[in-house]
Amino acid sequence: MTDVGLGSLPTASAIVAPRGHGTLRRLLRHRSFMIGFSVILLLTLAAVLAPLISPVDPSAMRVRLRFRPPSSQFLFGTDMFGRDVFTRVLYGARVSLFVGVAVCVISGLCSAIIGVIAAQFRSLDGAIMRLMDALMSFPAILLALGIAAALGPRVSSVIIALTVAYIPAGVRIVRAAALTVREMDFVHAAQVSGASSLRIVLRHILPNCFSPLLVHLTFIFAYAMLAEAALSFLGVGIQPPIASWGNIIAEGRDYATEAWWVMLFPGIAISLAALSLNLLGDALGDMLDPRLKGGD
Amino acid sequence: MIAPLLAIRNLTVQFRVDTGWVTAIDDVSLDVDEGDCVGIVGESGSGKSVTALSILRLHQRATTRMPGGTILYQGEDLLRARASTMRRIRGSEIAMIFQDPMSSLNPVLTIADQISETLRQHQGLTGAAARKRVVELLGLVRIPDAARRADDYPHRLSGGMRQRVMIAMAIACKPRLLIADEPTTALDVTIQAQILELLRDLRKELSMSVMLISHDLGVIAEFAQRVIVMYAGRVVEDAPVAQLFRRPVHPYTMGLIAAVPKLDSDALRLATIPGRIPSPQETIPGCRFSPRCALVQHGCLEEQPPMQMAGDRQSARCPPRLLALGDRHG
Amino acid sequence: MVDRPQPIVEVRDLCKTFAVKHAGGVSTLHALSGVNFDIMRGETLGLVGESGSGKTTAGRILVGLIPATSGQVALFGHSITGADGRARLAAVRSRLQFVFQDPFASLNPRMRIGNAIAEPIDIAGTLSRKDRNDRVAELLELVGLPRNSIERYPHEFSGGQRQRIVIARALALNPDFVVCDEPVSALDVSMQAQIVNLLLDLQDRLGLSYLFIAHDLAVVRAVSTRVAVMYAGAIVETAPKAQIYSDPQHPYSRALLDAVPRADPDFVRHPVVAGEVPSLLDPPPGCCFHPRCPFAMERCRVEVPLLKESGAERRVACHLFSA
Repeated sequence: MTDVGLGSLPTASAIVAPRGHGTLRRLLRHRSFMIGFSVILLLTLAAVLAPLISPVDPSAMRVRLRFRPPSSQFLFGTDMFGRDVFTRVLYGARVSLFVGVAVCVISGLCSAIIGVIAAQFRSLDGAIMRLMDALMSFPAILLALGIAAALGPRVSSVIIALTVAYIPAGVRIVRAAALTVREMDFVHAAQVSGASSLRIVLRHILPNCFSPLLVHLTFIFAYAMLAEAALSFLGVGIQPPIASWGNIIAEGRDYATEAWWVMLFPGIAISLAALSLNLLGDALGDMLDPRLKGGD
Repeated sequence: MIAPLLAIRNLTVQFRVDTGWVTAIDDVSLDVDEGDCVGIVGESGSGKSVTALSILRLHQRATTRMPGGTILYQGEDLLRARASTMRRIRGSEIAMIFQDPMSSLNPVLTIADQISETLRQHQGLTGAAARKRVVELLGLVRIPDAARRADDYPHRLSGGMRQRVMIAMAIACKPRLLIADEPTTALDVTIQAQILELLRDLRKELSMSVMLISHDLGVIAEFAQRVIVMYAGRVVEDAPVAQLFRRPVHPYTMGLIAAVPKLDSDALRLATIPGRIPSPQETIPGCRFSPRCALVQHGCLEEQPPMQMAGDRQSARCPPRLLALGDRHG
Repeated sequence: MVDRPQPIVEVRDLCKTFAVKHAGGVSTLHALSGVNFDIMRGETLGLVGESGSGKTTAGRILVGLIPATSGQVALFGHSITGADGRARLAAVRSRLQFVFQDPFASLNPRMRIGNAIAEPIDIAGTLSRKDRNDRVAELLELVGLPRNSIERYPHEFSGGQRQRIVIARALALNPDFVVCDEPVSALDVSMQAQIVNLLLDLQDRLGLSYLFIAHDLAVVRAVSTRVAVMYAGAIVETAPKAQIYSDPQHPYSRALLDAVPRADPDFVRHPVVAGEVPSLLDPPPGCCFHPRCPFAMERCRVEVPLLKESGAERRVACHLFSA
């Protein structure tokens, strides 16, 4: 399972890259971005419109229809309890995407606040970064495993566990960006005009830390989805009958040879989601750091 | 007529950006004669650095194209030469130094290692022979205590020292042409004077031709024998240095000389050129200086004006001005 | 008895040291060693020097961006150094401002320039919304930018235009004194001339006083009434503009003027001064210029020369003039 590494610390050009109408146009023309974005959009729509796409109860067990292979009636086949795998994967998308978004948003907010505090208050910086280092020294999945196991097997535990595991990397990125932005002349200009520290943080530093954090968060989204699947697979995450891509795979593990489709399709879904988010993140990274683009 | 050492003819270079291809320099022609010292002066966007980088083909191939032009060096077209030919020429026959010595020097190698690399590549020198030559070169560029300094890393050297090291690397193989792209812009005034004096002396000692690129008219006036003025990607004037300052022909040259603040006299206000430099993406019909020109006429907006002779060895891209001057001289 | 007008800026024995951490421990970098100067209302003091001269540090201390290590700085008669310094600086803050060198780094790329220009006003919180917007429009006109610039972002403007925006922001609260730190060094020659003229026009219209920090002697000549030359953390000479260019007293001033390239091919060059600026971590004893000075005497190696009167309105720190 992947750990969230340092990634790329932001460069000054990445932070103060221009934004405006041009960026949207460039995004639309960037192939990786369009592919990544389209796939994620599709998955999100599938998750949201699940009841419309497949008006079947994902938990409905029909023992006589066990282990049916994929067919026109059961697109992804049925599992050991006769449940429609396609419907379960669709509903599983809801859980996985929800966990991904929740972890993204919460860890993003926390990283931003903690990172900026560390950059602004040098006295607290030491303590904060040592705490982050301690958290990062655990492999993220192990940390999440421990927290989730302690809190009990439910969605909220998974979200809390993953958020805690992924905050340190975000803090590093925001802190690095904030330290760079602090030294820029427009911050000095605000200081000369008598701006309070709070004003400088809210109006000058935070807005310029968004770009590197945003790129980082797209990868966190992917990691969170993968980690949730892993946790559910290991039995400490979401429990059946609630469908999650991870626990569908877990349940299908014992029947890998007889009903390979139970593991395959949620597996493809996870891979697709993670891959498209990576493409999205790469594209955003390219857009926001002009130096990485070819030419110029 | 002796053929020039380097002859750039009708060079056009385009770069690829998000919106397509943009022309960085258009129809640039200039000569560097044997033993000559040519200065290329221009502001940002003039294309002076692009021109210099083109000579040694230092642009990124994937995003650059040259739809027209030749660069003749000793009869060979550098733009169409083989990669092996270019490798041979770079460093040993044509050398280049840049503005920021810190990014041109490898921070993890000592000075001696870096200079030795050039010596090994082009002259096959190694070991003690290379070391001897390195110390000799550092002495040539007037670095005090050369033998000890050779083992320093770049970060231990000041800006002026680093630039001297760059020059040492560039002259290591006695090149016939040295291209210096804003070599003193990042240096203090007194250090700049030292480096320019060094370049002047080296030029004489090594019988080198020099192409000096700068935005600073003072540096150009002091150093160059012939000046080429570039604006927005085109050459607008080409003249011997004394003539350029005594009788500038092109309105841009006149405006530039007037706009430089004078060290030796007072003025209530500085002379300005109205407007601003066009971005390379802007298409301006006719003469690219016309939106800012006080002498603009109808013909200037219709087609790109050609370079025309304006007397002995001076040429400019401004037919109206040439006409006016011609009338005055009968 | 004619009352001499009070200077708006008084700097006495200003010293600034930085602690530099490195492999061997901590060293002290002497950025400023006992700087003295005054600025009168309505004048422009040009502060000239090369790298390491301390001119930028001095400018930033004046507006409170960097604290002084020792010495006194008084603005409009209020001392901003020592105890209560910060409070007294806050009291006079609206009367001073700073124009930065790099037009690309001195504007927040995420902030529309209308808000950027109004920031000093917003921080002070004294104007109503309507008055604030009117003031922004007025400032744009003052610096020669179109009114519709308010909604645009910095990256949509060129270097010269951005510098105009920075100047507009500096003038937002009608300051009396503006520190300009290399305001035109990053601009092309043709744009430099425009911005220099703008600064001069604004000075005439609004009665501003400037501390103009620059390394380009020709630009300083165009702008200043008086010039102070700095070297390695100390002022070596101050004089009215005309005199410092026609008759520089300090050997460094002379060397500096000699070194500037002239846009005149007939100009006869003087020999170039050798050596480099000394390390500020380990400055030479006595006069910091003595290792490079063609006139160095035994006294110069031992005794630091003080800035002393050497003519009408002239002061120089050199033993050649104190015999």
